[in-house]
Amino acid sequence: MHTKKFVFEMLALLVIMSMALTSCAPATEAPVATAAPATEMPATEAPATEMPATEAPATEAPATEAPVGEIDPALIEAAQAEGTLTTIALPPDWCNYGEVIETFKSKYGLEVNELNPDAGSGDEVEAIKANKDNKGPQAPDVIDVGFAFGPSSQAEGLLMPYKVSTWDTIPDDAKDPEGYWYGDYYGVLSFLVNTDVQPDVPQDWTDLLDPKYNGQVALSGDPRTSNQAIQSVFAAALANGGSLDDAQPGLDFFADLNAAGNLVPLIANNGLVATGETPVRITWDYNALSAIDSFEGNPKAEVVIPASGRFGGVYVQAISAYAPHPNAAKLWMEFLYSDEGQLLWMKGYCHPIREADLRERGVIPEDLLAKLPDVSGAVFPTVEQLDAAKVLITENWDAVVGADVQAAP
Amino acid sequence: MAQTSILRTKVLSPASDWKKWLGVIPFFLFATLFLILPSLRLFIGSFTDSAGQFTFANILQLFTEDSILMAYWLSIRISAVTAIGGGIFGFLLAYAVTVGGLPKPLRSILITFSGVASNFAGVPLAFAFIATLGRTGFITALLKNVFGINLYQTGFNLYSFAGLSLTYMYFQFPLMVLIMAPALDGLKREWREAAENLGASSWQYWLQIAMPVLLPSILGTMILLFGNAFGAYATAYALTGGSLPIVTIQIGAQIRGDVLHNPGLGYAMAMGMVVIMAISLAGYSWLQKVSERWLR
Amino acid sequence: MNLSKLQRPQPTLPSRPPGRRFPVWSWVWYILGTLYFILPLYATLNFSLRMERDVIGLKAYIRAFEDPNFLQTFLFSNVLAVATIIASIVLIVPTAYWIRLRLPEARRITEFITLLPFVIPAIILVFGLIRIYSTPITVPFTGIELFRPLTNTHAGTNILIVAGYMVLAMPYMYRSIDTGMRTVDVRTLTEAAQSLGASWFTIITRIILPNIRASLLSGALLTFAIVVGEVILASFLGVDAFGPYLFLLGQHRAYEPAALSFVTFLLTWMAMGIIQLLTGGQGQTAGAH
Repeated sequence: MHTKKFVFEMLALLVIMSMALTSCAPATEAPVATAAPATEMPATEAPATEMPATEAPATEAPATEAPVGEIDPALIEAAQAEGTLTTIALPPDWCNYGEVIETFKSKYGLEVNELNPDAGSGDEVEAIKANKDNKGPQAPDVIDVGFAFGPSSQAEGLLMPYKVSTWDTIPDDAKDPEGYWYGDYYGVLSFLVNTDVQPDVPQDWTDLLDPKYNGQVALSGDPRTSNQAIQSVFAAALANGGSLDDAQPGLDFFADLNAAGNLVPLIANNGLVATGETPVRITWDYNALSAIDSFEGNPKAEVVIPASGRFGGVYVQAISAYAPHPNAAKLWMEFLYSDEGQLLWMKGYCHPIREADLRERGVIPEDLLAKLPDVSGAVFPTVEQLDAAKVLITENWDAVVGADVQAAP
Repeated sequence: MAQTSILRTKVLSPASDWKKWLGVIPFFLFATLFLILPSLRLFIGSFTDSAGQFTFANILQLFTEDSILMAYWLSIRISAVTAIGGGIFGFLLAYAVTVGGLPKPLRSILITFSGVASNFAGVPLAFAFIATLGRTGFITALLKNVFGINLYQTGFNLYSFAGLSLTYMYFQFPLMVLIMAPALDGLKREWREAAENLGASSWQYWLQIAMPVLLPSILGTMILLFGNAFGAYATAYALTGGSLPIVTIQIGAQIRGDVLHNPGLGYAMAMGMVVIMAISLAGYSWLQKVSERWLR
Repeated sequence: MNLSKLQRPQPTLPSRPPGRRFPVWSWVWYILGTLYFILPLYATLNFSLRMERDVIGLKAYIRAFEDPNFLQTFLFSNVLAVATIIASIVLIVPTAYWIRLRLPEARRITEFITLLPFVIPAIILVFGLIRIYSTPITVPFTGIELFRPLTNTHAGTNILIVAGYMVLAMPYMYRSIDTGMRTVDVRTLTEAAQSLGASWFTIITRIILPNIRASLLSGALLTFAIVVGEVILASFLGVDAFGPYLFLLGQHRAYEPAALSFVTFLLTWMAMGIIQLLTGGQGQTAGAH
């Protein structure tokens, strides 16, 4: 009994000490932000007005040209005074965010507080709402969400407008004219294939229906809730006689795929691709490419951009209207939209939104260009088209494709 | 100190009735501050539609929409199956290491392992089972290569109700073991010996002595197992990708998905779960009363 | 009939009651159970060792451990777990005891409350906690701030998350302790102790607690596992816990998550072994003989 009491006391002491030690530094409260005006440096090139062209023009301009736009030093100071940036839903392997964040930290000396790296877009918006009165480290300053969430969050009054210095080089249909949200990168839906298990790599959507892929094809999410999965269905529509205004053929395609027994009802991730349980995974090309890097040859794998039905998905950045560190948030945006930030994303195989501009000025290193797959002909839906397709797909998935619920044994 | 026993105090002074409730105030205060209040949004939100207006539509949808009713039924079924199945086998395991006469170290191993396994859920658990019994799982491969049995052709499918139940057991068995082992300790050996000396068979001992004593604990733990399975989400999602539309996944779809849905409906469904839990609890209370009569 | 046999205490045999044969069935259940538990773990281990092509090696483990965050977050979660366990015991043992002894009317409502954490999604809980505890507590109708919001400091957030963990562990802790008390006949013990002049505090700490040791251990183990593996509360409250770290890795890497989940399993198992040793193992029957 004495031993036990002693042990409990020691444990209690340990707990109290740890709490005391870990609570030495209370979160710094955001000082009154000296609003640094967004400096709009005139763009030195004609802004691209359509979605980034994917053909690379010959690089004649010298690579030593000064980057478009410059960051106001007053902004940097104000941000450093705030000291921290709180991000959410930025996994390190997604678009090379790991390196992006580390570079930002070392370049400006700020801390970055990374919340829930695996949150979905809905979670990010909910986090802003829940933290409206909170100036603590749980409140996200900036969000990176699916395209449809930009306008909807703006409508709910959750965003703060800001135009980065390179604003004009962002294509018009990828940004809100008032600066509430702006596209950051895009990718194209592709097939990640474990070639050890399935050496016969499908080249297009219709190939997936072949019997040799029986029990091998999987989506990367639940089509009733996941952006990636819904857009996969939408993409299949394009290859199956549909269009950006008609996603129904996509549902029909997956119904056929399921009926043929080729569709595995699992949410594929890289572990499952590696074990061979879902050797063909439908996912964004940047995810597929970084997966291959992480496999390091075991298993051997390939990425295929389907021959038809090339579907581009855009994500958007925004600053929370309730951000505890607004200047740090603005500096973060400046960094992301600078050449450096955009190229870091490219390193993660994402197509940065300013790609056309970067290509024109020839600032993209050759080896980086060589790694990116050819995504010419990719189409990008508008928000209205996305919303319409989303409603169609989420409501009809169960009925059309038919979730196979086995009865109790 | 006065030698009055507690019972006498209770009978003699009904005026101090309200004072009895003082003893549970800390608990209720804690529950209010950290459970009830934060969850109020759940209650309020279920009466709100996407525009923020008051509405009964969400609650109504619970009763009228087929897919939602089916989701509830599915959830109840899988919770009941794993509660009963988990309860029975968990009990047998607990029995084996307590009264059942296995060497002492085996008990320690099982108890500590159960502690870990009871919370081994979600993606790692799903992955472990897929790697074991999936189409490319090693047991599947073993059966095919060594025994010539093609598991998936016999109709077995890990991504089904049966497969999910099997996977749920991984945290249901240990839960039962952990809570029942101390209860089984309470079966005094003298009872068994006395019964045997009086000529009772094993069967009679269990039926007339052990079971009545244990039944309240068994029932109480089974309701815990039921709740445990009922509220499980991550494992089902990881294993079946949402193709088994249990209620928790539906709720997740409404309030967490990448796409904009109707959070009010999600909250209403969660309230529905609370109601079902209350009903189960009532059922369990009734069963308890019955079993306590048995004890007398 | 010769009654002397009944009157004299029988010599107690070490583990088998007289007349029992070899416990075949016990072994059967145990072995079946072991197989069921071990096989999926083996599958995980097997996969994790194959990071390098055609080689059974530890590459995935080395990679996983290279990250200093692994140990740091694991230890921190351990500390949070211990805090949760102690706080839960302090809250629930007296409550369960009181209800059992003097207030059976409160049983149903208490059980209902303890089952609520199962059906309230953790994400709702965490956002609710944030909403409520991120605003300062002020004297009503004035602007005078009494307490800074819990969420603004590390200490405050830690307290908040421990409270959240206590809520999550409540069903298991309560059921464990309640079962233990039911087994032990607290009423008789209390009366005996009171007749000897013990105070309430003495009764609870020196008589009840030791007797429900096995149940406390079960509850502690369950709570420990919950806290160390918990993801949602920790990630949205911005706490550097182990759950979010593990979860994050699982999404994008292939082999390291399997390695980590296997290692976590082992480490948690070891930690449980330590807890068990410290609390003196599980006693046999306690209570009045």
